[in-house]
Amino acid sequence: MSPASRLPYDACPAGRQAQPDAVIQLHGIAVAVERTPVLRDLTLTVGAGEAVGVIGANGSGKSTLLRLLATLLSPAAGTGRVLGSALGSRECEKIRPQIALIGHSPALYSRLTLAENLRFFCRLTGVDVSAVSSALDAVGLGRAADRPADRCSQGMQRRAELARVILSAPALLLLDEPHAGLDSGSAGLVDVIIDEVREREGAAVVVSHDRARLDAAVDRVLDLREGSLREVLPAATMVPGQGFR
Amino acid sequence: MTPPGPARQALELARKDLLLEGRAGETLLVTAPFGGVALLLFPLAIGTDVPLLRSVGYGIYWVVVLLFGVLVSLRQSAADTPAQVALLRLTGVHPVVRLTGRAAANALLLLAFELTLLPVAVMIYDPPLDSWPWLLAVLPLVAAGLAVLGTLAGALAQGLAGRTTLGPLLVVPLALPLLLSATQVAEAVRYGREPWSWVALLLLVDVVAALAVALFARSLEEFS
Amino acid sequence: MTSVSRRLTAVTVVVMAGALAAALTAPPDRLQGNLQRLMYVHVPAAWLAYLSFAITLGASAGWLWKRRASLDRLASASAEVGVFFTGLTIALGSIWGKPVWGVWWTWDPRLVTTAMMFFVYLGYLALRRATLDATVRARRSAVFGVLAFAQIPVVHMSVVWWRAVHQPPTVLKPAAPTIDEWMLAALLLNVLAFTLVYVLLLRTRVRLAVAEETYDAAHDRAAGELAGQAITTPDYRKEFPNHV
Repeated sequence: MSPASRLPYDACPAGRQAQPDAVIQLHGIAVAVERTPVLRDLTLTVGAGEAVGVIGANGSGKSTLLRLLATLLSPAAGTGRVLGSALGSRECEKIRPQIALIGHSPALYSRLTLAENLRFFCRLTGVDVSAVSSALDAVGLGRAADRPADRCSQGMQRRAELARVILSAPALLLLDEPHAGLDSGSAGLVDVIIDEVREREGAAVVVSHDRARLDAAVDRVLDLREGSLREVLPAATMVPGQGFR
Repeated sequence: MTPPGPARQALELARKDLLLEGRAGETLLVTAPFGGVALLLFPLAIGTDVPLLRSVGYGIYWVVVLLFGVLVSLRQSAADTPAQVALLRLTGVHPVVRLTGRAAANALLLLAFELTLLPVAVMIYDPPLDSWPWLLAVLPLVAAGLAVLGTLAGALAQGLAGRTTLGPLLVVPLALPLLLSATQVAEAVRYGREPWSWVALLLLVDVVAALAVALFARSLEEFS
Repeated sequence: MTSVSRRLTAVTVVVMAGALAAALTAPPDRLQGNLQRLMYVHVPAAWLAYLSFAITLGASAGWLWKRRASLDRLASASAEVGVFFTGLTIALGSIWGKPVWGVWWTWDPRLVTTAMMFFVYLGYLALRRATLDATVRARRSAVFGVLAFAQIPVVHMSVVWWRAVHQPPTVLKPAAPTIDEWMLAALLLNVLAFTLVYVLLLRTRVRLAVAEETYDAAHDRAAGELAGQAITTPDYRKEFPNHV
């Protein structure tokens, strides 16, 4: 898919009519965390080969949305399907290995080296362990492979997590602030990994506060406000100082 | 990409736990010395009467193993962060397999812990060693039972602020049969009886705890 | 107060008054004298301890099966009442044991198992207190509620075996006496009265839990609808006019 064909914001409303092959289909979803409602009446459809960006104020529920899409949370109301499995059902266990989530804090074991962390992941999921070194090379950490994770900077840990995404080749990629901590030279890595997922007819949902980077990486951007998603205009049409609307 | 079988996954999880603990050294470099201090404190409190210490030494050893062994199961290197839990769930490894891997690592560490403290207890208390062949069965069976109960407590207290204080309160009363069996094996040998029934009780506790893991792992691993 | 509550309270008060009168007027024990009257509280309390934890077990298993909030409330309420009665059983047994047996504590298997239960269910309540999320709390305490009760027979069996290999207590332990008919009737009446008190306490505790949840839900609704609505864009132009 050429970059031109997915820009700008091809007039897809947040909740389009049901697509049979959609990777994500949420309708009227509500989620509460420890009794506090976070998401309400949220509708979202993400098709195969599509990448969607999500923006929103601090605390608006973006990370909760990603956990919901990763099938790690069950909706309190509404219906949702991710990769064909109904949210909140046991079917989700089957599709979880096809989902990759990079959250706020890294899921690395601090006393294991970067390579050990990745090899552990490979052995658990059946990915060929010999691919670890090339994945670390791809994210520019080939020579830091034997460094323990707790001696790596935030950006290095983020890159190691991107290497894990490369190894797992997910059908659904969920990224929470993927550019945070990455230097300018490696921020483009995120775009390439998202493109790879799209080319495999997978889907990506990317949460970010970095609007410029988000615009470059995804097909459309949604604003999470008052618990649900709304389409936002391309950044180029924004009126300075007046936000997106 | 075909995921490996459950046994292979459990082994991999246990290997990771042991590698982490090998580098952190909490069990053998912190908890075991602490247990050694406890063994040293009892005679200071109850008196240094040699025949008395010989007769209570074995029991004190097992009390220390029980109380401090729970800390081995709840060690810091076995506390998964929410991000690590999320990653493990997304790997698709079954919750029973995840707890089995943890329990296997716990059992090996507890066995190492028992074997480290045993010579200390023998040196300080000089208990009669006529029941030593039975220890070959008792040490691993107690380690396994305590490991599985500790794994369950770790899962029950996962992510809670009072994990290391709550966990022992949940495990220790339920581990009472382990303590009684371990001490009564030596007692039975001393009085010329066959201690098979106590070994069978140890096995029973281990089996009940393992069944609990099989039954409840999925319920415990679910998140809201 | 509903009519059921009113009637239940009235019946409990009447039966309790009768049970108290029976306990005070039953003939004193030939050997122990009036001390034996503690039995009229000790035995019902011990019965209630086991009953409460069995109900916690049933409700916990029921929660794992049906996931109904009412079963979680029942399990928790029964455990709370059970811990109270277990503590009472142990305390009264100890107060009775000192003058009769000469010791506060004896290594009777039932006593050891009861004390173990007391600590296990204190652990159950501590687990509930430590877990903030209602669903996670219900789930984990249901698992522990089943596990704890399942272990009790194993623990009891091990303690019975352990006692069997040791000498019986050397303190004065009266042989099982044949119980006077009056005393038996008074005891049974007290068991009934205390069971009614248990039902009343359980019902009240469950209703209190419902009230707490209703209050919390109303508070959540009033406090702000969504978590994100509590956060606003900082008005730094107004707060720091000299720096803008």
